[in-house]
Amino acid sequence: MDNRKLLEIKNLVTEFRSEDDVVKAVNNISFTLNKGETIGVVGESGSGKSVTALSVMRLIPNPPGKITGGEIIFQSPSLGEIDLVGATENQMRSVRGNEIAMIFQEPMTSLNPVFTCGDQVMEALLLHQKLSKQEAKEKTIQLFKEVQLPRPEKIFDTYPHQISGGQKQRVMIAMAMSCNPSILVADEPTTALDVTVQKTILELMLQLQQTHNMGIMFITHDLGVIAELADKVIVMYKGKIVEQGPVLDIFTNPQHPYTKGLLACRPTLGKRLKWLPTVSDFLKENEDGSMQEINKSVDDVLSNLVVTANETAEKHNKLYKQEPLIKVENLKTYFPINKGMFGKAKEYVKAVDDVTFDVYPGETLGLVGESGCGKTTLGRTILKLVEPSSGQIFYKGRNITGLTPKEMREYRKDMQIIFQDPYSSLNPRITIGDAIMEPMQVHKILKNDKERKHKVIELLERVNMNESHFYRYPHEFSGGQRQRICIARSLAVNPQFIICDESVSALDVSVQAQVLNLLNELKQEFGFTYIFISHDLSVVKFMSDRMIVMNHGKIEEMGKSDEIYANPNTEYTKKLIGAIPKGELDDIKASIERKKIYRNRTANA
Amino acid sequence: MTIFFLRRAFYGLLVLAGVITVVFLLFNVLPGDPARMMLGQRADQASIDAINRDLGLDKPLSAQYIMYINDLMPLSLHEMQNENHYLYLDPAKYDYIKLFNISKSKVMVLKYPYLRRSYQSKRKVSEIIIETLPETAVLAFASIILAAFLGIIGGIITAIYKNTWVDHLSLFLASLGMSGPSFYIGVIISWVFGYMLSEYTGLNAIGSLYTIDDYGDGEYLDLKNLILPAVALGIRPLAVVIQLMRNSLLEVLSSDYIRTANAKGLRFRTVIFKHALKNALNPVVTALSGMFASLLAGALFVEIIFSWKGVGWELYNALVKYDLPVVMGGVLITSTAFVVINVLVDISYAILDPRVRIR
Repeated sequence: MDNRKLLEIKNLVTEFRSEDDVVKAVNNISFTLNKGETIGVVGESGSGKSVTALSVMRLIPNPPGKITGGEIIFQSPSLGEIDLVGATENQMRSVRGNEIAMIFQEPMTSLNPVFTCGDQVMEALLLHQKLSKQEAKEKTIQLFKEVQLPRPEKIFDTYPHQISGGQKQRVMIAMAMSCNPSILVADEPTTALDVTVQKTILELMLQLQQTHNMGIMFITHDLGVIAELADKVIVMYKGKIVEQGPVLDIFTNPQHPYTKGLLACRPTLGKRLKWLPTVSDFLKENEDGSMQEINKSVDDVLSNLVVTANETAEKHNKLYKQEPLIKVENLKTYFPINKGMFGKAKEYVKAVDDVTFDVYPGETLGLVGESGCGKTTLGRTILKLVEPSSGQIFYKGRNITGLTPKEMREYRKDMQIIFQDPYSSLNPRITIGDAIMEPMQVHKILKNDKERKHKVIELLERVNMNESHFYRYPHEFSGGQRQRICIARSLAVNPQFIICDESVSALDVSVQAQVLNLLNELKQEFGFTYIFISHDLSVVKFMSDRMIVMNHGKIEEMGKSDEIYANPNTEYTKKLIGAIPKGELDDIKASIERKKIYRNRTANA
Repeated sequence: MTIFFLRRAFYGLLVLAGVITVVFLLFNVLPGDPARMMLGQRADQASIDAINRDLGLDKPLSAQYIMYINDLMPLSLHEMQNENHYLYLDPAKYDYIKLFNISKSKVMVLKYPYLRRSYQSKRKVSEIIIETLPETAVLAFASIILAAFLGIIGGIITAIYKNTWVDHLSLFLASLGMSGPSFYIGVIISWVFGYMLSEYTGLNAIGSLYTIDDYGDGEYLDLKNLILPAVALGIRPLAVVIQLMRNSLLEVLSSDYIRTANAKGLRFRTVIFKHALKNALNPVVTALSGMFASLLAGALFVEIIFSWKGVGWELYNALVKYDLPVVMGGVLITSTAFVVINVLVDISYAILDPRVRIR
């Protein structure tokens, strides 16, 4: 038997039962994880990748979930070879956190808010390693050092809400690493983090893996991340593994159309594309639910879509000859913190700090920066959803900073915003139709509700939904559909200017591509002007003509997107661009080389 | 933390000031002549004037208000010489320590808040309250302890056995308990356990914390009288707490950090009692404290049914007899209790949940 084998999953089936339905979230999958190996599991939400991870931990919420078939053979250091599917709860407890550890997607909510970080890490040590309290504390601080947390002694005594998201995820990693597990299951550990933080976390995980010779199961929807980290890639689609193989093979020669689609729909940084290819360019779902492949290679599809530099230049010439639609001058938005005894502010957070720029009609202005840089506040201040502290905003030459809410209302019609989270920005108790109709009623667009309903159906069809959705409620729709509903709602009042605030960040890559394409189509059709806010530089670059890089409330850099990407002027922009996992072949090869060097070094040591 | 505490205390004082003003104005617009009520129908004008002067009722409203506040303040300013002055330091009214003289006739004193005298018994309202408040406090405290203890345990059990017969049964009982008003449940409990079954239970249908002994020459503490009223008063909070605890715990149990705790390999017990309970208790503590405050005020019906000599009983009697100073004092005391308890709750929050401490 191969003694490098750590975990072998054979024909695993996990089902979720509801009253009238059984969903096979994981449907007959098999793969093997070896010592010191990283398996990347890729797929969209609902593809069963998280359920696979939770099945291995036997943490499937039961009811409604249940493992109904297959084996999970784990080479346990303490229990020997064991099938985790049949293991007792006692055995599982000695495995969990000790031999198989897990890191979760949401560092913000994955730590218990009422215990200090140190306590929570120590708990696992005290449980599995039988250390004394003092020893456990020392070990915890040692672990904090290992995951490169600043001031480890201090972090030991802080509560989770007092540290940043990246730091929380480091605490989670320290917790997972505390008992030297043989397997680390990481479920989208960096999805909620900024790219620069993501980069450091990924490097840290790689480093820890090499020193401890762990097997890592890394779950993500981002192929770029996989490229940097994984040795082997598993592509999951609707509960099944559609393709698995070494990382280089998957990237150079994807076989399954779904994999091709995933590879193609990421906004690439090097080229400017007309629109993004989607999975449907490669894989068609027939009426009866069967899949039909369209045999095209990724490169073929992409090469048809490239926009030349001349075309871009011509478009820009036209754009920037016009009068600006919006002028923002010395805009400042401060939030009071640290209120004194009588609620008078002593200090301020300078969310937007002296920002000046113009937006031209018909352009898309990208706004990019890390979380907390003030990009969202800037967007909301322009719409006066947040009152500016000082500065001026001109819309079509009129200063709107001093307007009363009543005067502002007529401008609200012209200026719309599409929010980040399509799940929480629709009222769950209002039907889709009513939700879209409401702004039309407020602004008295069209004569009566009958005409409005007509228009709503038109809009729904425009965003690729249909009439039957009019009376449905938000919970019946997927994230991508909801975001399209939100877009339809913004369109209902015939706006001229739309702010997209992280509008695609919560969506899967392939859905993201569809929504981005839709936004661009609508822009062409109705001549919108966009401000496109995102933390994802590759998305911003794909969407925008010009972009603004923001940092600490100030404009770090502003210019044509392609130029900024090609020649970033400031350190910050360079760092931001450098941190994006690009998933280019050269990067994959480089990371494979790097791993080899690591491996040799640890083998020799 | 200190600033947090000070700010809460300051807000509490502001609310109290508002309450005092409202109570004062409210009872000033009510009809009725205190002097007539004290002296009866056939009083002569001279005695009525004397009483009006004594109560300050011949002064304008603003002066009465200042007088009222000055009476309530532990630190207050008084007139020494002029007996007719509305701030005259009357030894019959106040129980004070002289601090220092401000001018020849003005003096600063430290005193117990003066809540006037009962129109009926002529006793100081503060004395009446000091006598009755402990009885109400003991009753309310006993019911809230009952509700908290059984409620939290019951909530945990029903959460663990979610969707089984245990859960359904407790849900049924809880809605039963919630829908029964205390004056109805109180009567039933008193009748069944204090009268019909009193041979077996050994309990009385009515009774107070202290009972006058058979020879009539003393009082003794009769704790068994506490049982029935405490149960009658506690059933509603108990029903609420069970439901609240169950839902709150279930919500916490489905959160990400509980999954993390499970992924650490912790025991079920540890996950529930260490990781989940502390988080789940927050809404329960709010509800309990709010209930405690309202029980202090709202034990009225139960006190009447069981003849429990508490503030509610006294307030009821005062209302019947239109004894305004007692009613004002009672209202003031219960609202003060409300405010104080809420400040304490805010502080207990900060201890339970470190995230609250930021603001």
